[in-house]
Amino acid sequence: MRVAVLFFFGWFAPLGNAQTVDYARDVKPILKERCFACHGTLKQESELRLDTAAAMVKGQVVAKGKPKESELVSRISASDGSRMPPEGKPLTKEQIATISKWIEQGAMAPTDEKPEEDPKRHWAFVRPVRPAVNDSPIDALLDIERKSRGLSTVGEADRATLLRRVYLDLIGLPPTREQLKAFLNDSSSDAYEKVVDRLLASPQYGERWARHWMDIWRYSDWYGRRGVPDVLNSYGQIWRWRDWIVKSLNENRGYDQMIRDMLAADELSPTDDANIVATGFVVRNFYRWNYNNWMRDNVEHTGKAFLGLTFNCCHCHDHKYDPITQEEYFKLRAVFEPIEIRTDRWPGEADPGVYPKYSYGASYKPITTGMVRVVEEKLDAPTRFYTGGDERNIAKDKPPIPPGVPASLGGKYEAKPLTLPPEAWYPGLKTFVRDEETTIRKKAFEAAAIERTRARVLMAQAVGRTVLSPFAFVDLELANTTCRNAEALFGAAEADLESLRARIAADDVAYLGAKGDQKATAQAANRAESRHKIAASKTNLTKAELALATARRTKAQAAQLPTLEKQVAAAKTAIATAETAAKTVSEKYTPLSHQYTKTTTGRRSALANWIANSENPLTARVAVNHLWGWHFGRPLVESTENFGRSGKPPTHPQLLDWLAVELMDNGWKFKPIHRLIVTSKTYRLASNGPRHPSDLDNVYFARFPSRRIDAEVVRDSLLHVAGELDLAMGGPDIPQDQGLTNRHRSLYFTHHGEGRMMFLDLFDSPNPCDAYRRTAAVLPQQALALSNSEFTLELSGILTAKLLKSEPIGIDFVKSAFEQVLARPASAAEQSAAVRFLERQTKLFETEVKQLPPKVTPLRRAQESLVQALFNHTDFVTVR
Amino acid sequence: MNRRTFLADAGMGCTGLALGSLLWQDGFARAETALATGKPHHVPKAKSVIWIYLSGGVSQMESWDPKPALTKYAGKSFAETPFADPLKSPLFFKHSRDVVGGTRPYPKIFPLQVGFKKHGQLGIDIADWFPEIAKCVDDLAFVRSMYTTDNDHGAEFQFHNGRHQLDEQQPSIGSWATFGLGSLNENLPQFVFLGQYTDTRVKKNFAADYLGPQYTGVELSLDPKNPLPFAARPRSVLAKEQENQFEFVNELNKLRQVEYPDDEQLKARIKSYELAFRMQAAVPSVLDLTKETAETKALYGIDNATTELYGRRLLAARRLAQHGVRFSLVYLSGYGEWDSHNDLKNLHAKSAARVDKPIAGLIRDLKRTGQDKDTLVVCCSEFGRTPGLETREAYKMPTGRDHHPHGFSVWLFGAGIKRGVIHGATDELGFHAVEHPHYVTDIHATVLDRLGLDNRKLNIPGRKRLEIDYGEPIRAICG
Repeated sequence: MRVAVLFFFGWFAPLGNAQTVDYARDVKPILKERCFACHGTLKQESELRLDTAAAMVKGQVVAKGKPKESELVSRISASDGSRMPPEGKPLTKEQIATISKWIEQGAMAPTDEKPEEDPKRHWAFVRPVRPAVNDSPIDALLDIERKSRGLSTVGEADRATLLRRVYLDLIGLPPTREQLKAFLNDSSSDAYEKVVDRLLASPQYGERWARHWMDIWRYSDWYGRRGVPDVLNSYGQIWRWRDWIVKSLNENRGYDQMIRDMLAADELSPTDDANIVATGFVVRNFYRWNYNNWMRDNVEHTGKAFLGLTFNCCHCHDHKYDPITQEEYFKLRAVFEPIEIRTDRWPGEADPGVYPKYSYGASYKPITTGMVRVVEEKLDAPTRFYTGGDERNIAKDKPPIPPGVPASLGGKYEAKPLTLPPEAWYPGLKTFVRDEETTIRKKAFEAAAIERTRARVLMAQAVGRTVLSPFAFVDLELANTTCRNAEALFGAAEADLESLRARIAADDVAYLGAKGDQKATAQAANRAESRHKIAASKTNLTKAELALATARRTKAQAAQLPTLEKQVAAAKTAIATAETAAKTVSEKYTPLSHQYTKTTTGRRSALANWIANSENPLTARVAVNHLWGWHFGRPLVESTENFGRSGKPPTHPQLLDWLAVELMDNGWKFKPIHRLIVTSKTYRLASNGPRHPSDLDNVYFARFPSRRIDAEVVRDSLLHVAGELDLAMGGPDIPQDQGLTNRHRSLYFTHHGEGRMMFLDLFDSPNPCDAYRRTAAVLPQQALALSNSEFTLELSGILTAKLLKSEPIGIDFVKSAFEQVLARPASAAEQSAAVRFLERQTKLFETEVKQLPPKVTPLRRAQESLVQALFNHTDFVTVR
Repeated sequence: MNRRTFLADAGMGCTGLALGSLLWQDGFARAETALATGKPHHVPKAKSVIWIYLSGGVSQMESWDPKPALTKYAGKSFAETPFADPLKSPLFFKHSRDVVGGTRPYPKIFPLQVGFKKHGQLGIDIADWFPEIAKCVDDLAFVRSMYTTDNDHGAEFQFHNGRHQLDEQQPSIGSWATFGLGSLNENLPQFVFLGQYTDTRVKKNFAADYLGPQYTGVELSLDPKNPLPFAARPRSVLAKEQENQFEFVNELNKLRQVEYPDDEQLKARIKSYELAFRMQAAVPSVLDLTKETAETKALYGIDNATTELYGRRLLAARRLAQHGVRFSLVYLSGYGEWDSHNDLKNLHAKSAARVDKPIAGLIRDLKRTGQDKDTLVVCCSEFGRTPGLETREAYKMPTGRDHHPHGFSVWLFGAGIKRGVIHGATDELGFHAVEHPHYVTDIHATVLDRLGLDNRKLNIPGRKRLEIDYGEPIRAICG
C-alpha cells in the first residue's frame, strides 16, 4: 500500500531543487525498474552491477560528488548508440536530474545496503519446508503473528452465521430453513464437523469448487464469431472438461493427477476418453486463425495457472525479474508444438467428424456431438526462436529449440516418446463405435428386408391383376421395377453389414491381436467392401430405372426422360467399373475411423510430471494459495498468478508453506485441506468487532473477512432459497439468454470470451480469459437487477407461497422469511420494521386493490414484497 | 494509508466524491484504484466525449483524404507511378501484423469512386459523399496520418483498447476516461454505448477489462420503456410499492450497520440503492427526445427516413453529454457496415448518406448551444481502405477496396481542438501515413488530455501497461 501512495503523490510533488535526494526513495526505484535486469543479480552485463551504491562506485560509473565525471550519468543522458538503457524510452529528464543530484550530493546510501538476492534463493523458488507446529497449525501459526503484533481475535461467529458461511463456501448455496434448524438444535460437540463432512461429500461441492478452478484454468466455451457461427477460440463440446473437473473434485482426485490429466491425459491414459477430455485445458487456448497464438497461450497460462509464473514476459526478452531466459520460453513452447485438435465420437452420439484444417475465409460451426481433445500430429514440427514477440522475425541462424523447462527451478525434464495402443490412434477400434456402426447397419438391413417383402407382395398382386385386365401390364412393369429396386437395396444393406463385419474381423487380426491370417482377413475385408460397392452401385441403377418407369407413366414428365435414360446408362457403367475393380486382389479396406499418429513425443507428460512434483517449489504453494483465497476472500500471496520476484511476497509465508507441504503429504487431495481450514478457529471467528488500528486491512485475520458472494452464488442462492434450483448435474452448456428462466446452476451456462450472461456480469462474473483473481464491486445496477427483474419478482411469489403453506400466524411469516432467505433469525428491531412494512404495503393495496391479480389479497402481496426486499438485503449477497 | 481508511476518512456520503470511488471494490489492486480516480491531472478542456464510430473501415480517400493521383493512374500498378512503391516501404512490414497469414498488397490502382471539392477557408478536400459535414470543415481538425497494425476487423477493438487482437486485451478508452475522472452526475451511468449490433464482439469496444464492471459502457436503448438493463420496474409493481420497498431495504441495511459499523461494502451498498432508485428515473428522462423542438430534430435529420435512426442516436448523445455523461460511444453503423470489399461506390454512398446529416447536425447543435466548448467529438473507424483494387477469386467484377491499416483518417471537434486544420498526411497514393504518423492510442491520449488526464498516470498496480498503450497527445491539433 505504501508503494501506491508514493506513486500517487509522486506525480504531484516532483522533486524540488533544494531537496536532498534520498537514495532509497528517489534513486533506487529508477535503477530497479530500468537497470537491474541487466546490471543486478540476474545478469551483470560488462561485469557491472547497479544494485548497490558501493557497486556503482566500485564499477567506476559513479564518481561521488561529480556527476559530470560519472559514466552512469553520461550513459543515461547519451543520445547516441551508447545510451543506457538500450531498450525502451530513455530515462526522463527528471529521472536523470534526480540521479545527477544524488551523485552531486555525494552519492549517499545506507551503509548496510545489500545487493539483490540471488534469484534462485527467492522465497518461491526454494522448496517449502513444513514449519514445526503442534496442534491446529493454522491457528497456531497465525497466533504467533497476531501475538507479536498485540492483536487479539474476536469471538466465534454465532452458529447461524457460521452455518451459512460454510454452506456458501463449500457448496455455493445457503442452508435452507430446515438445515438451519437442524443445526441449531444439534447440541453435539461435533455438530459443525458433521456439517462440514456432509458438505464436502455433497455433489454440489464439486460444482462450487469447479467454478473456482475454472477461473484459474480459464474455462471457456467456444467463441470467435458466435453470430456467424464461426469457432475461432476454444472448441465445441469442451463442456465435457467442465464435467470432468466437477467429477474429479467430487472424487477427491489428487491435484497432481489433475495437472497430469489436463496437460497430457492423451499420453498418460490414451484409451480413457472420460479422462482425455481433461485436455480441454489445452484445447481452451486454441485459436484457429493463428497457431502461434495457441502456443503462446499454452505457455503463458500453464505458467500462470500451475506455477504462478509470468512466462509471457520472456516471450520477447529474457525475464527482467525472474531467472527465465527467452530461450527457455521457447523450450516451453516446444513442449506444445506437436499438438493439434482432435474430435472423437462419444457413445450414443453422432460422429462429430474429423477436425477440419483451416482454410482461409471459411467459417466453422461448432461441433455439437462427441468430444474434443488434443492429439499429437506434428511430431517433427520445429520450434523456431523469434525476436520481438513477432513470429515473422525468426532467428534464422538459430537451430530449432528443443523442449524443456526453466533450469533455475530445478527438477528433471525427461521427455520419452510413447507408443500408443491401437485404440488410441485408431478410434474406430473402440467397442462402442463398432457396436453402433453394426446396429445402424442391422437396422438398415431389417428395414430393407421389410421393404423387399412388401414389394414382393405388391408384385404378386400386380401379377394377379393382369389376369383380369390387359391394361394392368403397365402397373406390373412398375411393380416389377419397384421390386427389383427393393431387392437391390436389400442386397446393398446386407453387403454393407457384411463389409463392416469383415472389416472388423480384419481389424481384430491386424490391431487387436486376434488369431488369424492378417493378409487373408484383410483381403476378405477388401472383397466384402467391393461387394458392397457393387451392390450399392446396383441400387443406383434400380433407382434410376424406377424413376424412369415412373416418368414414363405421365406425359408431364416426358421431358425428363432423356436425363433419366442417361442416368441409367451411367449407373450401368458404374456397376461395370465396380465389378472390374473388384477383380483386383488387395488388402486395402476402409478403416472404421480416421487413423492418427501411432506415437507421441511424451513432451507434455514430461512437463506435467515436472510440474506435479513435490520437488517443484511452486506448484503446491500456488494451489493452496488459491484455496486459502477462496475460503477467506484474501489469498496469502496477493499476486496469485505471479510468485516471481516482481510479485507480492506472502503475508504468511510459514502458513503458506505448511499448507503446501500438507497438501503434498496428503496425496495432493483438496478435501483434507478444506476441512483443516474450515474447522480452524480462525475460520470460525465472527466478522464484526472493532478494527485494530495496527491491522486495518485485517491481514492477520483477527476476525473473519466478510465479503460479497460470487455472481454465480447470487443467482444460485436466489433459486435455491425459493426451492426452484434444478440440481441436475452436467451436460452441454445452456444458452446465456436462458439465464433468468432456466433453473440450472450458473456454472452450466455458456461462458466464453465474447460476452457474459448479463445478470452474472453485473455481479462480476469472471472474465473467461483472465480471472486469476476475481473482484467484487458494489454497483447501482446490481440493485436494479435484484429489484427490477421479473426473475426475483417471480421467485418472491413462489417462495411466499411455500412459506404460507405451513400457515404461519402473525409474526411467524416474517420470522420464517428471514430464516429461509437470510438463514438467520430476525432481530426484534427487524421484526418490528417488517411488521410496519407489511402494514404499509397492505394499506397501499387496499386502496389500489384493482392493481392486484385475481385471488391475491393485499396482505399476500405485501408478503411477496417483503420476501423480495430480503433478496435485496445486504446480508443476502454477503458472506459474514 | 489504505483504501478502507481513505473511504472512511472521506466520508461515504460526500457528494463531491466520484461515483467510481464511492463504490467499494474488493480484490487485489482495486483497493488502490480510487486513489487514482476522481480528479483530473491538469485543467480539463472537455467535460464529455462523444465518440462516433463507423464500423468496417471507411475509405480514407473517399472521405477525408481524397487522392486525385488514384484517378490519374487508375489501372496502373504502384510501381508504374512516379511515386515510391508503397509495397516496398519498410512501413509496409512495420505497420501491420497479420492475424491470418497472407498480406494483401493489391497493387493495381483503383480510381476514386466519388468526386471531391475544396471546402472552408483553408480549402480542405472532402469527398462529395459528405456535403453537410463538408460545410463544417472550418470547425474540424483532421488527422490524416493514422495507422494501426491489424489488417482484419480486430482493428475495431484495437481502436478502442489499443492492443492488437493477438495481444492481451486492455480496458477501452471510455473505461479509462471514466475511471480517471469519476462522475459528473451520479444519477447517470458515466460511460454509455448507443447502438445496435448482433455480433457480440462489439461489446469489446466498451469492455472495461481489468478495471471492472463499473467502468464498462452501459448499453442504453432509445426505447423509453426500457432504456437500461433492469431499469424499468416490472409492470405489475406500483411505483409507491417499490418506493416503500427501497425504504424498507434501506431501513434493514441500516440496522445491520449498527452491528457491522466497519463494513465498507455495506456502506457502499446503501449508497448504491439510493443511486439505483434515482438512476431509474433519471435515465429515461434524459433519453426522452420529445423534449427537443422539431427544429432541433430536423437539424439531426430525424425528420427523414434515411437519417432518422442515426440522428436520434446523436441527439441522445448530445443530451447525455449535456446532463453529465462522460463518454458516449455512438455506434453509427451496423457492425462492419463500411467494409466495402466490393461495390464500394454504392455501399459507401449509401452509408455516407445515413451519417452525413446527423453528424453535421451534432456539430451545428453543439456549436450553437456553446456545448462544443467542453464537449469533444471524435469521428473514427478502425482503418482505411486499400488504394489498390481488391481482386479475389470470388469477385468476377472487382469494384472495391480491402482493409488498409497503413494510413487512414480521424477527425476531432470541440473542447479546444483547433478548428479547420489538417494534421499529418499519407503519401500521394493514400497508402502510408508518412507525415506525423499516429497510432490509435495517440487519439486516446488526446482525448484523455482534453479531459484533463495524463494517460501515463492511469495505472492499476499489478497490471502492466506498455508504451504503446499510453500514446502521446497530438499537441498540434490542441488549442
